Amino acid sequence: MEQTTSEFEWHTGRKTPVENPAIEFVGVKKSFGRNEVLSGLDLALPEDRISMILGPSGTGKSVCIKHMVGLLYPDDGDVLVHGESVPSMPDDDLFEMRKKFGVLFQDGALFGSMDLYDNVAFPLRQHTDKGEEEIADIVNRRLKEVGLTESGDRMPNELSGGMRKRAGFARALVLDPDIVLFDEPDSGLDPVRTALLCELIQEIHAENGGAYVVITHDINSARRVAEYIAVLWRGKIVESGPATELFESDNAFVKQFLSGESHGPLGME
Amino acid sequence: METSIGGPRQWLEATGAMLRFCFRVMGEVYGLKVFRYFGEALRQAGILILSSTLVIWSLIFIIGLQCGIEGAYFNRSVGSPAYAGVFAAWCDLRELVPYSFGYMMAAKVGTGIVAELGSMRISDEIDALEVMGVPSMTFLCSTKLLAAWMVLPFIYLSGVGAGFLASYLAVVQQIGEVSSGGYQLIFWAFQNPPDLLYSVIKGMTMATVIVLVGCYYGYNASGGPVGVGTATAKSMVVNIVLVHIIGMLGTQLFWGANPRAPIGG
Repeated sequence: MEQTTSEFEWHTGRKTPVENPAIEFVGVKKSFGRNEVLSGLDLALPEDRISMILGPSGTGKSVCIKHMVGLLYPDDGDVLVHGESVPSMPDDDLFEMRKKFGVLFQDGALFGSMDLYDNVAFPLRQHTDKGEEEIADIVNRRLKEVGLTESGDRMPNELSGGMRKRAGFARALVLDPDIVLFDEPDSGLDPVRTALLCELIQEIHAENGGAYVVITHDINSARRVAEYIAVLWRGKIVESGPATELFESDNAFVKQFLSGESHGPLGME
Repeated sequence: METSIGGPRQWLEATGAMLRFCFRVMGEVYGLKVFRYFGEALRQAGILILSSTLVIWSLIFIIGLQCGIEGAYFNRSVGSPAYAGVFAAWCDLRELVPYSFGYMMAAKVGTGIVAELGSMRISDEIDALEVMGVPSMTFLCSTKLLAAWMVLPFIYLSGVGAGFLASYLAVVQQIGEVSSGGYQLIFWAFQNPPDLLYSVIKGMTMATVIVLVGCYYGYNASGGPVGVGTATAKSMVVNIVLVHIIGMLGTQLFWGANPRAPIGG
């Protein structure tokens, strides 16, 4: 669908240059049928920082994550991970590249046929030659980090939403990934648990390092953990840069979104 | 206008997509890629044995009884009760054992696969597999096909035995108008090892198609729980139609030109 310039009047595209980005989107366009979700997305996410992609619901945030790991390919443009083009990778290279990633899906995406312990151990059993004893050490350490030491033998359907997310987090970390992606980690959680999860993300990032990318529309989470922020709307970046700069931005849309005001460019449409 | 063209075109596209998917899944088995996940194939084989064997045998046993009863009463009505074994032999081995095997495979295994893969798809479990660097089609679909090929010939062959036993019980023990030896003389005269092989080929073709159709509809499910339900129903319809087409073509191919019956020399 053709979009008018006025739709992008707040998209200044202002961004702080990122040296050696972990992930880069270059003019990415993606449509589903006649619905254009990404309309020429240019974005660079820094290495070794917690970045947040913020934006209203239905604006293409989850589609971004799927492009990063090659679950979706752009109709036009390119997605680079550590400088390598994801869309042009052969299948074997793509599966190899994905081992750099840990992904926490919205509801944890734990395998329903396995208990929590086996879920967390799964990537280790698939991709390493470690023995069961060593796997047990790693899994128990990760479960302890997310506060689920006692729940290893429980099935995913016996866990609360927050526990499933923490378990998904443990599984995402188990291969010591370079990049960890979080798809709306706060969805369905009460404010206290959201705050606790944010603290956990910060603690584990401080310990392990790497590029963490969080996708959310929750401003409180952004204030707590974001070091770098990109605001996405209508499939394009409105502005991106260090969190402190974005929270001081004069852009009317960015100001409205980051303050949660009802008056401004963003309406109910 | 769009409807009249859109219908067949969409149907062709869907068929093409399904065939492409099926060839890819089979290619991963023939290309031996699936053996990287042989442990998962063994787990699937275990699930098949534990969850499906008894129901398949039970249905075939009942069908075997039916063949025996039908054969006994029909042959009595034409004054040749000793020949009940002819009907039972053909009915069991050539037609109703493959069909009942196909029905239960479609109802139990096929729909189970759609439900399992469909729920994995809508809860992002398949995406989670992919981003962990595990090729989901190989891990989820090709392992199921390999498991089916490893286990189902034995379940089928033992099912044939259950059907034979049931027909024997119905004709000889229940209706009792022919002796055990007389029944068996005729029963075994009207079948031979190639017939058993053809029957197994029929059954395994049905099983392969059912597993692939189930994988296709489950793997590509969308639209939340309702979408998974719809995909399950669609897979059942497709599978039942295909079971009959395979049954009909198998009969034509294996016994059409030569009924392999010791009649008239």
